[in-house]
Amino acid sequence: MKQFALALAAVFLIVAVLYWTGHAYPPGVHIKHAIVSVVLALGSLVWFRFMSAEGAR
Amino acid sequence: MTFAQAMLLAVLQGVSELFPISSLGHTVLVPALLRWHIDEGSESFLAYVVVLHLGTAIALIVFYRSEWLALAGAFARSIVRGRFSDDPHEHLAWLLVAGTIPVGILGVLLQSAVKALFASPIPVSLFLAANGVLMLFGERLRQRELAAGHPGYRTLAALRARDGVLVGLAQSLALLPGISRSGSAIVAGLLRGLHHDDAARYAFLLATPVIFAAALLEIPALFAPEGRPALAQAVLGCAVAGVTAYASVAFLTRWFRRNNLAPFAWYCLVAGLLSFVLFVTKVIA
Repeated sequence: MKQFALALAAVFLIVAVLYWTGHAYPPGVHIKHAIVSVVLALGSLVWFRFMSAEGAR
Repeated sequence: MTFAQAMLLAVLQGVSELFPISSLGHTVLVPALLRWHIDEGSESFLAYVVVLHLGTAIALIVFYRSEWLALAGAFARSIVRGRFSDDPHEHLAWLLVAGTIPVGILGVLLQSAVKALFASPIPVSLFLAANGVLMLFGERLRQRELAAGHPGYRTLAALRARDGVLVGLAQSLALLPGISRSGSAIVAGLLRGLHHDDAARYAFLLATPVIFAAALLEIPALFAPEGRPALAQAVLGCAVAGVTAYASVAFLTRWFRRNNLAPFAWYCLVAGLLSFVLFVTKVIA
């Protein structure tokens, strides 16, 4: 699950960059979608942190 | 939009965003009732509304500044630690996260569609009346529970993540113009066993990131062609909305220590029905 959370964060970050630079579908800059993707990426990183700490205990 | 109209809208936003009477509903109804000829779909109007929301969000952050600092600190510590503790601030911070998730998801998915469907005076009048009924219904259910010997009030520390999500879901009803964000969240808090005081505090804290995020997400409207409101008007509007929002939250936190939602509920019911009659009978076109 740890790896899954990290992969999810990476995917959301890539999606955010694509939206921000206007390379996602439909074409054009979608700032709202980009911001939401960044928030989801951060959420995934928090999830990763909790999983890592649980594994270390 | 004239300067006087802009300032009146700022006062209206500052008050109605936090009083449980629906700011979006009043932003649609009041200009229609006063026969202002404003294009509420124009870029410049939307940009001005964004500025007013920023003022309201800043007022909420300033009012609860010490609480937000404690919440942010506890939240960050729990992430660094990678596990939960018994700290009540940490518990409340995660409760706010749980409550914000449904509003965030539903807001991003549905806001534009719902606004396009219902943001005209007749449906808004009906939703405003429904907002009154919702609050009266919530108060009545809570009174019935207390009369039936329900074991007192729960504290915020006793709420679980599920309760936070439920309050967040209730707050999502405010996507419908005429339904109040704080009103629906307070009713949900009451039905989860909170006292009015705690239900209102949770509703205002929960509203802060939502109002702030909604304003931030709409900031591109400020830079759209034709979207720039007059700078002096925007700055003054932001300040006026902020000051009235601060006064409103200060008043409401005191009000809910000893009082309930009933006066606001009756106001919404009467104002909604009266507006409905005026619009349907075309007394006001």
